[in-house]
Amino acid sequence: MSINKINRRTLLTTGAAAGGVTTFFGPWKYNRVLAAGHTKPIKIGLTSDASGQYANSGASDRRGMLMAIAEYNEKGGVLGRMIETTHIDTETTPATGSRVAERMISREEVGFMIGAVSSGVANAISQVAQKYGVIYLNTNSSSPTESGENCHRVKFVWDGNGSNFAQAAVKNAITAYGDKWMLLTNDYGWGHDTAAATRKLLDQYGGTVVDEILVPQGTRDFSSALLQIQQAGPDVVAAAVGGDDQKSMRQQVAQLGMGSSPAWINNQQDWPDVYGLPIENLFGVFGTTWYYKLDLPGVADFVAKYQAMYPDTSMRVPGNVFYNGYMATKNLLAAIERAGTTNNIAVIKELEGHVMSAEDRMQHHDAYIDPVTHQVQQTIYLATANSAPTETDDLFEIVSNTSPDEVQDMGAQASCNLESYDDTPTFDA
Amino acid sequence: MTQLVPHIFNGLTLGLLFALIALGFMLIVGVMEVINLAHGSLFALGAYFALTIIGVDPIADTGLGQWWLSLPLVSRYVVALFVAPVVTGLIGMLLELCLRRTYGRAPLYGLLLTFGAGIVIEETIRLTWGTGEQNLTIPDAINGATFFIGSIFSKYKFFAAGFSILAIIGVWLFLEKTPYGAIIKAGAHDSEMVRALGYDLSKLRLLVFGFGASLAGLAGIVMVPIWGLRPHVGIDVVIPAFLIIALGGVGSFGGAVIAAILVGLTVGITGAYASAWSMMSMYILLIIVLGFRSRGLFGRASALEN
Repeated sequence: MSINKINRRTLLTTGAAAGGVTTFFGPWKYNRVLAAGHTKPIKIGLTSDASGQYANSGASDRRGMLMAIAEYNEKGGVLGRMIETTHIDTETTPATGSRVAERMISREEVGFMIGAVSSGVANAISQVAQKYGVIYLNTNSSSPTESGENCHRVKFVWDGNGSNFAQAAVKNAITAYGDKWMLLTNDYGWGHDTAAATRKLLDQYGGTVVDEILVPQGTRDFSSALLQIQQAGPDVVAAAVGGDDQKSMRQQVAQLGMGSSPAWINNQQDWPDVYGLPIENLFGVFGTTWYYKLDLPGVADFVAKYQAMYPDTSMRVPGNVFYNGYMATKNLLAAIERAGTTNNIAVIKELEGHVMSAEDRMQHHDAYIDPVTHQVQQTIYLATANSAPTETDDLFEIVSNTSPDEVQDMGAQASCNLESYDDTPTFDA
Repeated sequence: MTQLVPHIFNGLTLGLLFALIALGFMLIVGVMEVINLAHGSLFALGAYFALTIIGVDPIADTGLGQWWLSLPLVSRYVVALFVAPVVTGLIGMLLELCLRRTYGRAPLYGLLLTFGAGIVIEETIRLTWGTGEQNLTIPDAINGATFFIGSIFSKYKFFAAGFSILAIIGVWLFLEKTPYGAIIKAGAHDSEMVRALGYDLSKLRLLVFGFGASLAGLAGIVMVPIWGLRPHVGIDVVIPAFLIIALGGVGSFGGAVIAAILVGLTVGITGAYASAWSMMSMYILLIIVLGFRSRGLFGRASALEN
């Protein structure tokens, strides 16, 4: 029987090897050593839909992100590092969103993720992102829960939410059209959350809900719902119907001539959802965060830059979805620059509470990132169909703009509980 | 209180539209035992062809284009209703020629090929007509609203339902009253016997696939003024069509029509009382029916199974 003798050299070699292995394969969740080299590109995962209900909006969202990234790469990147992107279709499906996020982080090794239109998909992605500490920008989903009960330390929400839009619209609509309301709601997270926000405001301002019609996602025939609306005879219909469902709904409401009576309040109207529709389909009042004809400095240049970068795109002018994708990406890259590092916690701290001037945002009021909910508080516009367009694409007439403080979602502030910095895995991207 | 009669009527019209959507799919499944997953894309393609025929964008600036556009919309629309399905049918025939290599192999090959063809057609639509929402203009005579049994209904929906009835009768007459229909039905029942009797089965399949594709295109032209027109509009077609065929019984023309009307009534009435369940209701109906009759309402065993 022999006894192996452990000498000093063996001990040191084994120790060094173990240390190295631990560094690279060690507790991944809490300490990613992903980008030790500071010259390698910063990799951003674009998690936008390319198929399903929000395929068209997802493409617009992605174009916005890519334009912001192209601008930075033209300047030599961020912190001397160029920016690379990878895109995987999230299919407007939450389960796919989870899978895509897992793959992007663990296999594609992205340092940041950007993009969403569907709240369900955004929520799924953000759960995975929080697990790894990867900063995720929810660019275009507007469910109040995204910055409320489903908020996360790593997630930042760039669109106005259902509560913001409802606050901008409900009080005035009760005065203008009447207090008997009916809700037409897409039967999923965003629809329910938006309807709940509308109900709360109706209670507050003396309106009543006579009925709520839930329409499943993927509904193409709204005739049953429209018959119910006729039979109930409300003063106002508050519709929280999105994507292709909304296009079909608008088509059918216009065919029945029901666009002016009852009055329609459509929570938010994404530009890709209405672009190309006949003007008579654009009935009612609806919310948006930006319009390409806003008479503000920088807007015309921004539109020209879009047209130069995307000359073949059928959507000839940018809309709110493109704008949100662009602004979110641009502000993330600026935050990395200000932080002087790609460390996720440092970048998160740069984003929290950050104030963006109205001029930079091309909106009427300054905006800021609420440090409690991580939602961008911004100008909310109400619009209606433009009866005197100056050109083919001039579909909207902006009827009001409301400052962020007047439409703040207090419900989200009460229900959001961000994870602590210590509970968020940290790494340098 | 919800008044039931308008909802029943609405369900009936909806059922007729479902029947129109399922007709082409039924023909191809019934005769060729091929589940054509490109049905939805052919549906969209028909509508886009009609869009081009009505608007003639590519030649709008030429003399011929100007002359065409000077014709009343109703004339251009009627021409589109006939020409666009024929062109779609030709594309369908092309697809059938590709499909021939899969005959006699596992059904998965046919499924994969038609699935792939559907994607190719959809992407071709994106490249040709763009990704955005389009609007298929319809004549004023069938546009707008009308008041009926105490409710406002869309005139166009009445037109679409009426057109569906005509299409159903037309296909029925073709299948039941012409020698070609007899051969097609015989081919569906026992293709080997039809071949043994000297009929060219290849030509029969080519014609049936073309006919089925043209019906898909026709359904697209009729449906998109209600649903809206976008490259992926066909996605919403395949599942209801498949469900109706399974419910009515594979290969049964009457079964498919009755199943479509049942589905329409179920969706329409559920929409009135429990709108959140309106889409789910058609699947529940399918489960109930297949629970009692596994071949569907009017399905029969094919000769090959005996």
